[in-house]
Parts: sequence; structure tokens; C-alpha cells
Amino acid sequence: MRRCRGKSPGKVLCGEVKQGYQVVVIGGGHAGVEAAIAASAIGCRTVLITPSIKKIALMSCNPAMGGIAKGTLVREIDGLGGAAAESADKTALQFRMLNMKKGPAVWGPRVQTDVLEYCLAQKRNLQKAGVRIIQGMVEKLEGHNSSIEGVLLSDGRKVEAGAFVLATGTFLNGMLHRGKAAWPGGRRGDVSAIALERDIRERMFHVKRFKTGTSPRVVRKTIDSKFLEEQISHDLSFRFSWSSKSGVKNKENCWLTRTTGATEKIVKESLKHSPLYSGRIKGKGPRYCPSFEDKVTKFPDRTGHPIHLEPMGENSRVMYLNGLSTSLPEEIQEKIVRSLPGFENAIISAYGYSVEYSCFETGEFDNSLRLKRTDNLYVAGQILGTSGYEEAAATGLLAGANAARNILGMTKIVPERMSSYLGVMVDDLVTIGTDEPYRLFSSRSENRLNLRQDNADRRVFSLACRMGTLSEEKKEAYARRNKIYNSLRKEISAKRIHGKPLEDICRRPEISPENIGRMVGFDAEEINEKEILSTAVLDIKYAGYVKRAENRYKVRMRYGEASLSSVEDYDEIQTISIEARESLNRRRPKNISEAESIPAVRQADIDALVLHLMKERVSRET
Amino acid sequence: MEQQSELIVALATPETVSAISLVRLSGKGASKTVEMLMKLKPGRLTGRKRAVGNLAGIDHLVAIAWPRGKSYTGEEMVDLMCHGSPGTARRIIEELEKNGARIALPGEFTRRAWINGRISALDVLTLFERFKGNGRQEKQKNLSEELKELKSEMEGLIEFSEDHEVSGEEKINVLLKELKNKAATLVINVRNAEILPRVFLMGPVNAGKSTLFNKLIGEEVVVVSSTPGTTRDGAVRTVTISGRNVEICDTAGYGGEELDAKALEIVMGSMKRSDRIVWMDPKCFTPLKHLTEKYDVLKVCSLADRKENYLKTEWLPVSSVSGQGIDEVIEFITKTERESPSWRLERMIELFAEAIKASESEDIALAAEIVGEIFREAEEPEKCGDAVERALERFCVGK
Ligand SMILES: Cc1cc2nc3c(=O)[nH]c(=O)nc-3n(C[C@H](O)[C@H](O)[C@H](O)COP(=O)(O)OP(=O)(O)OC[C@H]3O[C@@H](n4cnc5c(N)ncnc54)[C@H](O)[C@@H]3O)c2cc1C
Repeated sequence: MRRCRGKSPGKVLCGEVKQGYQVVVIGGGHAGVEAAIAASAIGCRTVLITPSIKKIALMSCNPAMGGIAKGTLVREIDGLGGAAAESADKTALQFRMLNMKKGPAVWGPRVQTDVLEYCLAQKRNLQKAGVRIIQGMVEKLEGHNSSIEGVLLSDGRKVEAGAFVLATGTFLNGMLHRGKAAWPGGRRGDVSAIALERDIRERMFHVKRFKTGTSPRVVRKTIDSKFLEEQISHDLSFRFSWSSKSGVKNKENCWLTRTTGATEKIVKESLKHSPLYSGRIKGKGPRYCPSFEDKVTKFPDRTGHPIHLEPMGENSRVMYLNGLSTSLPEEIQEKIVRSLPGFENAIISAYGYSVEYSCFETGEFDNSLRLKRTDNLYVAGQILGTSGYEEAAATGLLAGANAARNILGMTKIVPERMSSYLGVMVDDLVTIGTDEPYRLFSSRSENRLNLRQDNADRRVFSLACRMGTLSEEKKEAYARRNKIYNSLRKEISAKRIHGKPLEDICRRPEISPENIGRMVGFDAEEINEKEILSTAVLDIKYAGYVKRAENRYKVRMRYGEASLSSVEDYDEIQTISIEARESLNRRRPKNISEAESIPAVRQADIDALVLHLMKERVSRET
Repeated sequence: MEQQSELIVALATPETVSAISLVRLSGKGASKTVEMLMKLKPGRLTGRKRAVGNLAGIDHLVAIAWPRGKSYTGEEMVDLMCHGSPGTARRIIEELEKNGARIALPGEFTRRAWINGRISALDVLTLFERFKGNGRQEKQKNLSEELKELKSEMEGLIEFSEDHEVSGEEKINVLLKELKNKAATLVINVRNAEILPRVFLMGPVNAGKSTLFNKLIGEEVVVVSSTPGTTRDGAVRTVTISGRNVEICDTAGYGGEELDAKALEIVMGSMKRSDRIVWMDPKCFTPLKHLTEKYDVLKVCSLADRKENYLKTEWLPVSSVSGQGIDEVIEFITKTERESPSWRLERMIELFAEAIKASESEDIALAAEIVGEIFREAEEPEKCGDAVERALERFCVGK
């Protein structure tokens, strides 16, 4: 077989490939959509293969985007030229800024979205980006692992290309569970990708089984809202995307109710019917997004668990019950729902269920998200072991960009851990790995005060330029914002108030950006300007902490992994203190980071050790 | 190859008649040695074990053994609880010495515990304070454990409050304040335990060094006379000034006479990097350059009450007669040493104050970052080894 890898956009491919695609993206979920858009933005002829065009970027679970760290990630996606942020803004029903009282670094913007509108918006974005969409189910990869040549669809069609992005979500050998019933499926109403999973296993890739679950949906008019607590929307003229002209609108309400003791009782008595607890599901579920069965088992004494009622769309007749994920039998789900205040006559329109699926083992992919044993197959989204739309979309963007760059003969791009949540996530997945669905948290970053939602564009701009995913228009808009930022920073650093440098005043915890704005006469009217003011002040406020965090990281990176296995007897290294030698000999640390954590080993000893290692290397090399 | 240190032994209880005495044995072969002397099966005291029996015909006793990594010192260790007469304990120790153990140095057990990472530098000092006092050994949660708990409380509040509706901001504030108070109490204890760097009184002959020395320690130890070169041998005293333990050394004056120059050289040969110098000279001649470069030096214009006055800027006028400048001298000699445990604690207290302010200004993320910094301060007390070494030198044998 001839290899068909075009090296530049527009280059005609080998004869038998009629379509002339450069990148094929398999799966039109949140990851696949961003992957295809990114590949296309870089200049590759890109095709997206997915079973149903109507279900592109469908939210399988709760109808919302964003949250703590996740909302920040959505903004990073926007800064990198992705589409999720714009679509979330356009289809938002309600906005809330989570963690408003916990500090701007952990503010978590979150919108309720109109699920169907969101699908449409993302489909339009694909079309705008020039991505071809093929409806179909991929059953097999073609070619050797080292160089995948094409994919085979269930209807016998073949699609060939130079690079591939696999983004099949919860579908790989997906099994759905509810009560005693179990049936193959990737999501309610969708078929499972059984053949493709078998092909992947036969190609000797290591997969593991994870599971996740979703809540029942209830017919809106059968709920008595008298008993519900209305959730306040926040009117902050917020938007995820720097391209959105105005802040998101609040069009819909959300409500809150709480489980009663009766709810927990029903669940406890029915645990034997739960596939999660009867041992039928073996896959690992997300600890941080637990099923209601988990909550009741782990906190047996707790009652009054909050349940959020979220509309699936504007004027939707269906409400999603966030917090009540369950896979108990239907009749029990009915009892559970009816035990909630205001739900006495509620009718379930779709029952909750769990899905168990295959995803790749840690170690199978590298930090460009390429499967290590292939030259041109990339993976993104849930099959990396992540969970969540935002996580999927961001990894999709990276995988799509790297697939395109691969074909075009460009270097791979790896996001930095210290400057983006995307970087944190990729680094975690590649180096630490995960044995449960990985969800992003702000505390996963050691540079949290810098990884804020307000400065996401500034943090990823250089990454975006290197990737090549940002349009000229967006670059120009960024340059305009950057100019305002720079002149504001200059003004602040030049100004003194009663002899005190204004920068010092910025550092006081009680001082807000608005205070500073007034002091320099910067009256921010427009959303962009308001945000730039916050960013400037917060950058100053947290600068010291951020710098220290970055230094710690640098030191760890530079020396931390350096192996100490070559040292046989520390007594021979005269430059380290005697106590340090004693304890090093006894504890035998693997590397410098471990040595650092030993009391009696001081910084000076670490420096001496590093010097010793360097000398040793030089003498070995010469 | 892993190494273990020599086998050491000492009496861990006071040397008086009491119900029981405790002989502690630590290091490689501790278990085997006792197994042999008690005629136990090999391995009977290896690991976390306990045995009752007769030891070499001396006494019927209880032996408790710990494996490496699990004991107080972090090494293989055996505690022998024998009948409480000093004679019995002494004979047991002698028997152990015959079988390869050596008598422990003061503080050697604790030092090993510290080196092996079983306790932190802060723990060493708190222990010292306790041993110095009435020997109560109540188990306290240490500061870093509590910081860890606080940190996870804060992270939970940040990540999950919306899911689980925890409203914990108030609680965080209270916890922060509690910990700050705790650190403030701890800093007092640690200050009491710490021995500050030595202070050398130096300068030309008859600059008033001995008078100041006597004034500082509050009694006449050194014969004061105005004949140049009266003080021949350096007098050393550990005194408690403003609640801090300082070692003050009076030195022979420097006066051009060969003997004096030699004396000064000897003094300098025995000095450590952390030592401080009070350089006294009524004429305000610049102290030797290599002294100011190497050590922390306070330049004192002594005999400031006299008529002839040579005072220069940067020199502190001091008179032991009128008391002028004495407070400043005391401040200099009792100031907290950089990087010492109490210095770190003081910094931690400042950081707590900052964290409280941040959390009160609705910035839990910032407060959490600061708590992270406090945690690093608390976790790195090993970086203050000098102060710990000084305290360990003053431990009693058997601790
Ligand atoms: C029941 C359920 C519960 C969930 N619960 C949660 C939760 O509690 N919290 C949370 O964060 N996330 C949850 N999720 C996960 C969330 O939906 C995913 O994280 C997110 O959608 C992943 O995006 P993705 O792009 O990787 O995959 P998906 O959104 O799953 O998209 C995969 C796409 O690939 C297509 N596809 C699959 N196989 C093939 C094939 N062989 N050929 C062509 N196309 C194919 C599918 O049709 C689909 O369009 C849940 C998902 C499900 C199904």
C-alpha cells in the first residue's frame, strides 16, 4: 500500500483517494467538533464522521457549560480559536458566576444552555470552518498501527486521510445499565461502537473500563413550583467568548429542591437493584460526580441533598434533575422523584441510566495526544479518560491541531502546565494518569492565582499563535485589548497616591479593581474594558505568588526528576553536610525531589548534589 | 546498600529509684543483641514485638522492639523496662556495652529521629522545652497536620460548595485565627527552647568589654580593672535575656601586644559562621575588615559617658555606667536568627494575618495560596539546622 500523506494543504493525494482529505475526525461530540474546526483552521481538508448530524455536540448529560475551572477552560478554548465558547454564549439560558465569594481566581462562570440550539450552533460553526460532515459509523481502522491509512464505515464506505482523530466519547463498547437491564449503547438512543472497540483491542492498544451516569428528566408542567426555591441568575454582562458582543442573557429560571429523608430511604432499600452496587458494573465512576446511590452510601446520615432543576431548552417541556444521577430500576426512579417536595405528581420523560465504556489506558498517548504506537492517530475527549464537555472540547482542539500540524510537517504543540488548565489536564493525563473519569479542578493547578477566567486570552495567546488556530480577525481584536491592558499597567505603575505607589495599593486584599479604576480615572464602560481593568489589577495583586509558584515549578522541572541511582555512597560526596550524607545513605531517594523532602537535607546539600550529578555526567561523556 | 548507624544505648528515665527504669537501645542489631542476651529465639524481637524474660541474669524485664521506620528514632530500636534502681539499669547498660553498644551522646536519640525524618526541627525544640520542664509528654497534633486539614477544608469549599452547598467561609476564618493563636503560643515555647547564636564581646584592651559583660549577665564574673589586658581567658556564660537564651563570650582585648593578638586568633579559630560580634572601641576605630565581612557585627562606641568623645556615624554610643545604649545592645544580641525555627514561626504568624485578611475580603483562593506558603514554611524547618543542633547539644543523655 502506498502512503498517502499530503505535506501541505492543497497538495493532491495519491490516486485511489478520491476524497483528498487530510484529517479525519471520528465522532461528532464536543471533542470531535473542536478537533475538526482546529484542523481546518490550520489549513487541512477535514472531514468529520459521526452517525447523526442532528446530534453533533449533543450534551448527553446536564444542559450546562462551565463551572469552577471548567468555565475558565471554556474561555481558554475561545482564546485558542475554538468554537464552544461562542456557541455557549449564543445558546445560554441562564448565567451564574460560581464561587463569587471565594476570590476572582476561582470564579467559575457557568451557563445553562439550550441543548438543541447548542447542537445547531456547533454544526453551523463546523460548516463555517469548511469541515465536511459524513453521517456514518466507523467500524475499523485501516493500515498498520504505525501508519493508519483510513477508516471503514459500517455501510462499507472507506475514507482515507493522512491523520486521524478518534473522539468517540462514551461509545466504545458502551453498555447502558438500568436496574437489572443492560443493553449495548453509547448513550440513550444511540448505538454502541462495538466493532471499533474490538478493532482497537485487536490492535493491542490497552483500554480500561470507566462508567458514568445521568439523571432522570421530568415533564415540567407536572412539577409544582410552589415548593421550589428559585435560583438567582447573575446579571454581570458576562460572556465566555471575547468575540461575543454582549453579555449572556437570562431567559430561563432554574430551581432548587432538596431530597427528603424519604428519598434516601427508598434508595437505601433498593441498592440491591442498582447495577452499581450489585456488582454488574465494574467500570470506575467519577468520584466527584457521584451517582445518588453513591451519595447515600457514602454519607448515610446526610439528608437534604440539593437537586437542581434545569430546563433542557428555552420553554422546554422537560427539566433535568441535576444531582440525582441514578441507574436504579424505573419504578424505583419514579418513587424517588415523587418523594421530592413539589414532585408528588411528577412524570418522568426519560429515566436515568449508567453507561460503561472503554477508554485508553494512561501511557498509550503522549502530550500531543497522539497514540504513541502510531504516527498519525490522535485521541481526544472521554476516551482519554476525562469526563465533561469542557474537558472534551479542549482536548479535541489540541488533538485536531496536532493532527493537522503532523500532516503539514509542523512540530507538535504541547500546552504549558503553568499557563493553562489545558496544560494542567494534558500533563496530568500523560504523567500521572487517572483511574477514574478525570474532571478538572482548580486545585489541580499549582498556579491557580494565575489561571483565572478573566485573563484566559492573555495566557493562551502565544500558544494559539504557535498552534495556528487563531483567525487574523481574532488576533487583531486581541492586539487591541492588549494595547489597552499595557497602557493601563503603565498608568498604574507610574501613579502614586499620597506618596504610596498605586501598585502597592493594588496588593491590599480589600481593594477591588473598580477602586483602582477610579484612582487612575479609567472608567470602564464596555465589557472588554471592565475585564481588562480586573485583569490588570489582579495580575499586580497576585504577581508575587505567581512568580514564586513558577520558580518552584522551574526548579522541580530542572532537577526534580534527576535520578540519584548513580550515587552509591553519599559519604564520597564531600560537599554535602554529614547529617545529609547519613540520611541520604539510609533513605536512598530515587531522585532529587525525593531527596529534597528528607529533613536534614538542606538546600545547600541539594545544590551540591545537583553539581555532583552534573560533574559526573560531564566526566562520563568525555 | 542501606546503612544504619551504630548501636547506642542510654538510660531514658531519671537516674533515681523509681518503679521502673527504661533503657533505650537504638541502631543496627538492637533486636539481635537483646534476643541473644535474653536467650530468645532469633527473630523473637524482630519487628514490632514484645518479650518478657531475664536479661543476662541481671533482671527480669519487659523488652519492646520496633522495626526500622516505625520507632522513635526511625531505626531498629528496643526499649527495656527493668526494675527501677539505678544499679540495675547501670548493669544492663554495661552488659550491652560489652556486646557492642556504645553510650549515647546527649540528644543523640532525638537527633537520629530528626535526621531520619521522624520528627521536624520544630518538634525537636518543643521536645527540648518539654524535657527541660516537668517532662510531660502530652501528644499534640502538630502544626503541619492541622495546616493540611485546613488546606483541604479550603479546597473543598472552593471546588464543591455549589454542589454540596457547604457554607464554610466563616469556619475558615475561625480556623485561621485559631491556628494563628496556636503559632503565637508555639513561638513563645520555641523561643524559650532556642539557643541563640553566640555573642563575642571584642575590641581593644580596656574598651569596657568586661564591664558590659557583667552588666549583661547581671553579676560580677570577670574581674574588672583598668590595667590593660586584665582579662586573659575568655569567660563564657549562657544567660537568659528578654526571655531568650544567649551565650556571651568575653574575650581578651586586642592591643598590639603579641599575646593579645594570639588570643584573638584563638578566639576567631573557634568561631562559627552564625556567631555575632559586639565590637567595642571608645575611639571608634573600624573593626577588622575580615570580621565585618564574615560575621554580624555591632559597632559600639563604648565608654560614651566619658568626656573625650570620638563618636562616628554608624557607631552606637554605649555606657555601662549610665545605661545608655544598653537596650540596643540587648536587641542586637537577642534578635531572632534568620531561618531559625522561631524566625520561621514569626513569618508564619505574619502570613496567617495576611491569610485572615484575604479570607475576610472574600478571597479564599488567595487565603489558600498563603496557607500553602505557611505549609511550606512549616514543612521546611530542617533548613534551620544550626539552631536545632545547638538545642540538641543541650539535651540530656537518653533523649
Ligand atoms: C449517560 C451519560 C452520563 C454522563 N454523565 C456525566 C457527568 O455526570 N458528568 C460529566 O462531566 N460528564 C458526563 N457525561 C459525559 C459527557 O457527555 C462527556 O464527557 C462528553 O460528552 C464527552 O465528549 P466527547 O466528545 O468525548 O464524546 P461524546 O459527547 O460522547 O461524543 C462522541 C461522539 O462520537 C460519535 N461516535 C461514537 N462512536 C462512533 C463511531 N464508531 N463512528 C463515528 N462516530 C462515533 C457519537 O455518536 C458521538 O457523537 C455523561 C455522558 C453520558 C452518556
